[in-house]
Amino acid sequence: MTAALLTLADSRLPAGGHTHSGGIEQAIAAGHVTDPGSLATFLLRRLRTAGAVAAGLAAAACGADDLAALDAEADARTPSPALRAASRQQGRGLVRVGRRAWPSPAWDALPPAPHHPVALGVAAAAGGLTARDAAAAAAYLSISGPATAAQRLLAMDPLTVAAVTARLSPEVDAVAERSTSRARGSPDELPADTDPLLDLLAEVHTARKDRFFAS
Amino acid sequence: MITRVEVVARPGPGGRTVLPVLRGSGQLAVRRTGPTSVHLVATAFGPLGGDDAEISLVVEEGAHLTVHTVAAAVALPARQGEAPSVQRVRATVAGSLVLAPEPTVAAAGAHHRAELLAELAGSATLTATEQVLLGRAGEEPGRWTGTTRVERDGRPLLHTTVALGPGAPGWLPPVAPRAYAATVSIGSTLPVATGQDAVRLPLDGGWSATAWGPELHRVVRALESLGGVDEEVA
Repeated sequence: MTAALLTLADSRLPAGGHTHSGGIEQAIAAGHVTDPGSLATFLLRRLRTAGAVAAGLAAAACGADDLAALDAEADARTPSPALRAASRQQGRGLVRVGRRAWPSPAWDALPPAPHHPVALGVAAAAGGLTARDAAAAAAYLSISGPATAAQRLLAMDPLTVAAVTARLSPEVDAVAERSTSRARGSPDELPADTDPLLDLLAEVHTARKDRFFAS
Repeated sequence: MITRVEVVARPGPGGRTVLPVLRGSGQLAVRRTGPTSVHLVATAFGPLGGDDAEISLVVEEGAHLTVHTVAAAVALPARQGEAPSVQRVRATVAGSLVLAPEPTVAAAGAHHRAELLAELAGSATLTATEQVLLGRAGEEPGRWTGTTRVERDGRPLLHTTVALGPGAPGWLPPVAPRAYAATVSIGSTLPVATGQDAVRLPLDGGWSATAWGPELHRVVRALESLGGVDEEVA
């Protein structure tokens, strides 16, 4: 690991992730997340489904030749239009800052608004990181942004939310490890774990006029 | 037990569909029950953990095939160990395929894995439904893991794995449903629709819909009320 991984997973990297709640805003509106316990549960189900998929795609995209094929695999694993838009928006944001931070010809091989995990894999490669690092960043980012969003929306104690996130570290590592090993095969073997609840929350959320977060 | 089913549907004289290959072995027999329909008939109880079934379906351009089952399948635990029962459906479709099996019940302690890999030609149509209930009446829920991958002209349109039951990654109370139903349909498009514990999503040239809840008959109704499901499967 190098410090590039810390930069990549840092919420202060201006890639636009802070405008997305990863479904937390709608989960709160629907009453699924109300306190630290229910937040931990929601983050865990997000990590093991959307997080595992993102980690697999990021690991596969780190050093890959055919990024368009991986982007198509990301589309197939993200049937919700709202979640596709959120992923591509964050992918574009990451490309913008990543190109400046870690110049590399690999950026040119990406489609214009790539899925975020695919862009993350390219950023990891450009920053001299490994596929396992890319998976770790994707898995961590699948819960860190949503945890911060929950803190803001529910006015939760920041120390409590930090502890909730930190206690999920073994799960983050496990997801990153499993997804990296699945990424060594062909793209159709990448994790595809889906939580239909996240799809529903995303589509109900995007139709709302009174939302704080983009997703 | 090893189960193998093979069906080939081919256009015949007068626009009819002929079935030059119609073979079943192991736990499933296959019977032609209509001009374009077959029923899979379970010849043993189960599946049991450790059982492996592969159903190979080929629908050639201009042919139509609908696959039913005669009764719900009750997946039971392995007699020893924790091996899941596995059922793989491999469909190669240039014509029109409808998969409309009866529900799968995952009994307490059982883990059933269902896989659908559909490779479609550009003009193919597909409608595949799935109905799942975890646990028989008064019983703890079993586990069910379903993977669906649909490709058209080699490009993936949908690839999802939904895992239900104790120990499954996203099956965490309070949202831990005992019943689940899903339909994927390629050939006609429909926009996003949402309901109470139900969501329909558009795909390139098709759509997919999912519903979940405590009781299967309500879940099936929630799926139907999203629209598109009735007319496609009837």
